[in-house]
Amino acid sequence: MFDQLFIGGLATGCVYAVVGLGFTLVYRTLRMVNFAQGHVFMAGAFLGLVIAERVHLPALPLLFVVGAVAFALGMVLERLVFRRLYHNHEVFIVGSIGLGIVLMNGVRVFFPEPVPFPKVFGSEVVQIGAARFQEGYLWVVLSTLVLVVLLHAMFTYTRTGRALRAVAADAEIAATVGVDVKRAIALTFGLSFAVAAIAGVLIGPLYFVSFDMGDMVGLKAFSAAVFGGINSIPGTILGGLVIGVLENLAGGYISSAYKDLVAFVILLVMLIWRPTGLLGRETPVKV
Amino acid sequence: MKMRKLIGAITVAGSVAIAVSAQAQDIKLGVVAGMSGPGTSYGIGIRQGAEMAVREINAAGGIKGRKISLVVVDDASNPAQSVTAMQRLVNDQVDLVVGGWGSSQVLANMEVAERAGLPYIVVGATNPKITTEKNKWTFRVIFTDSVQAEQIADAAVRRLGMKRIAVIHDANDYGVGNRDIFVASLKKIGLDPVAVVPYQSADKDFTAQLSRIREANPDGLAIFGTIPAAPAIMNQARDLGIKARFIGTGGLANENLMTLAPKASEGTVLTTYFHEDVDPQARAWADRYVKEFSGGSQPPRPVLAAWEYRAVKFIAVPCIESSGTDKEKLRQCIGRWKGTLFSVPGDAYFDKTGQLVQQSVLVEVGKGAFQAFKGK
Amino acid sequence: MAALHQRWWFWAATLAALLALPALAPQYVVHIANFILIYTLPVVGLGFLTGFTGRVSLAQGALFGVGAYTTALLTTKLGWAPVATLVPSVLMTIVLAVSLGGAAVRLAGLYFVMATIGIQQIVWLVLMNWIELTNGPQGVRSIPAVGLGEYSLETPQQFYFLALVAAGISYFLAKRVIGSRLGLFLRALSDDQLAASSVAVEVGRAKVTALALSAAWAGAGGFLYAHYVRFIHPDMFGLEPSVLFLVMSMFGGYRSIEGMIVATALLESATEYLRPFGEFRMIAYGMILLLGMMFFPMGILTLVRRRAGAPAAGKD
Repeated sequence: MFDQLFIGGLATGCVYAVVGLGFTLVYRTLRMVNFAQGHVFMAGAFLGLVIAERVHLPALPLLFVVGAVAFALGMVLERLVFRRLYHNHEVFIVGSIGLGIVLMNGVRVFFPEPVPFPKVFGSEVVQIGAARFQEGYLWVVLSTLVLVVLLHAMFTYTRTGRALRAVAADAEIAATVGVDVKRAIALTFGLSFAVAAIAGVLIGPLYFVSFDMGDMVGLKAFSAAVFGGINSIPGTILGGLVIGVLENLAGGYISSAYKDLVAFVILLVMLIWRPTGLLGRETPVKV
Repeated sequence: MKMRKLIGAITVAGSVAIAVSAQAQDIKLGVVAGMSGPGTSYGIGIRQGAEMAVREINAAGGIKGRKISLVVVDDASNPAQSVTAMQRLVNDQVDLVVGGWGSSQVLANMEVAERAGLPYIVVGATNPKITTEKNKWTFRVIFTDSVQAEQIADAAVRRLGMKRIAVIHDANDYGVGNRDIFVASLKKIGLDPVAVVPYQSADKDFTAQLSRIREANPDGLAIFGTIPAAPAIMNQARDLGIKARFIGTGGLANENLMTLAPKASEGTVLTTYFHEDVDPQARAWADRYVKEFSGGSQPPRPVLAAWEYRAVKFIAVPCIESSGTDKEKLRQCIGRWKGTLFSVPGDAYFDKTGQLVQQSVLVEVGKGAFQAFKGK
Repeated sequence: MAALHQRWWFWAATLAALLALPALAPQYVVHIANFILIYTLPVVGLGFLTGFTGRVSLAQGALFGVGAYTTALLTTKLGWAPVATLVPSVLMTIVLAVSLGGAAVRLAGLYFVMATIGIQQIVWLVLMNWIELTNGPQGVRSIPAVGLGEYSLETPQQFYFLALVAAGISYFLAKRVIGSRLGLFLRALSDDQLAASSVAVEVGRAKVTALALSAAWAGAGGFLYAHYVRFIHPDMFGLEPSVLFLVMSMFGGYRSIEGMIVATALLESATEYLRPFGEFRMIAYGMILLLGMMFFPMGILTLVRRRAGAPAAGKD
């Protein structure tokens, strides 16, 4: 039973981690929380569905196409919508909640009921020890790994990546040394949309896709980001995995009624004990 | 300035309410259900059933020359909005209400109907507490959780020969209500469930719950939940290697079960509220219904549509015909009602709590559709 | 706006309109008005927190629920008279808010928001799953109406006056609190974090006080809600109302109680006047929030103020 719970939790944890990355990327750059993130994840899953139903794409190209389209959408929405919400974090919270409601109910018009997702990652059942699970779980874990390596490489070795990091560290200083801050912010939104959408496609074939699938995942991913450190990419990944595994273990061994409680208790305790999260660096202003 | 805005907002709300009310001579039939939110597919079925019945009655000349006009209010499948929705029907002076989806919503809005003295025939909610002797004005046509859960417990042991039964249930009122009665009924027969685990309605991943169930090695798994959790549980249970046969109650009685769990749902035995193949009239009605409502944004869902249709056409309309629209007389007439309905074997009648007593229907999933259960 | 406030005839007309409403308007409109009046309480409560400490909370819906559940359980399970449960409901809400959020309210703004999301979800999950105490997903039904002697407030019209009085009292109390030393102190604090931090010890206590005040208002609102709707369910107190309350407290304009009340009226009736949008209703609602924040980030009342020539309220 432990194997099963652990591996299942790991896969769910990967999804929390990847969606959580979207929160982290935006937070690092703007010190804002995008509450539409969970719904972007949902919209990404539907984007994947619409593409997969029309064009017969193998798994990898599908992930790439969805990521690219979501990236572009993120840039466009930054220009049209988010840019007008940077006044303070309250305005950003309410505005992004509004955007989330629009996204969710917009998708609901076309897909009022849950729909099965094509099994793009295969439907074989794999057995490891006493645990049995779909091939798709392996895809989730491996893709997360690849995504993290790619992001890390981009932030460390490319010019754009370094520019983004500079803006995240201090936008004013970055601007004085010639970084295009506006472009960096737009790119950040593009990236955060892309990772969330990819997570949506990864999870789609394992469960069904439905317009409300982003609600809980968004909140858990957010908890994961805070737990690991909302300004730290490795922290968010760690946070996602820990929450995914812990809640599955709690659900299996303690009480499945209170399974969801795990993420939120962790969130609250962590914030009070160490607001920067496990691996976060910056100390928040304590007044 | 702020006052002007406030009054503006209220006038808009008010004028919308007035715009809906129809000519005074018409008989006004209120329908409340979730036509947006999680209950959308059920709520739309209810609306379609009402539309179909009203259209037929009006085409045949109405009730003693009076036409029926429908007042449909969406409660967004939300208990708080459901109260407002029912208040709106009271305000529009409807003569009676036939509808309601979701136990939480009905438990909330029936309080309004009870206080206003408005006859209310509930179509889509199964919580036993809806029909008690305290609730004078509320009736219900579909089975309660208790009847269904009792029946499926009996069928599981006596007809399907299950010996090790596990239970997985939604932590909402539907799931908890079913679980309580089911477990009690099993104990009466002399069986203890081997595992009982809850989940939350919004859960997607059931590995934690199903791992516990797999440890218990059941031969039957009762699922008390709705779409999309129930088919997800079935798929994941099979992936985990759980071979137990699935059983359940009305929450599973939705065609989407087979769309979402095409392989895993095969062989599931459940109680349902309606089945086409019980008698020829039911089949004829279902064909007509599917033909009329295909092609919309929602695929036709006959189960609750059938109840709404029958409640309007065979219970509400004859009562208005004999007793008029006086609410007290109408209430008494509905309470005394006894008769036959298609797809229900034998006579049906309301007991003193306002619950329609009837024989239920057992079905099995086979070849991607609900078939009348042919087992022993 | 300011000039308008000082005119006696403005107040007289407002009062007359409010008093005449139940006699003139259809019952359904009175019903909506009741919800608006009830929601005024948690929203004004939230205003204390947001306007005077710069903290935004997404747990007000849960606190509202704690008030509602306390009175519902005391009246239905222990048979208390509704009037007797007002004080326990408010106290219970304060105790819970301070014990769960007392440590978090000292955190910087955005971290506090994060913490309140956790609080919101924890309270909701407990209401849903602690079945022995709360009835869980079955909800609590048959909550008695508030009675005044022989007279019981059953219909929307009867309840209206109670709601109006409650909203009125909370409005004037809120005005008093803002004008008090504590209010000035809290405002100074959110205007200038640095200056405020020089009196650090008192700051912490003042923030907890603001939290307790906002919880008290939420608890009183929950009390009214339970005795008006007379059926409560955990889903009525999830993240959705918390978001709604937060939006209501911001949408009208920072630190303006009048703005909050206008926003509450506009947004609570939104679900009704947006009905013509049919299945696009919620999309329209989301658009209102999004566009409102994009174009009037300091609240919709800034539109009025700008026209009146007064400078918009300061931002924090």
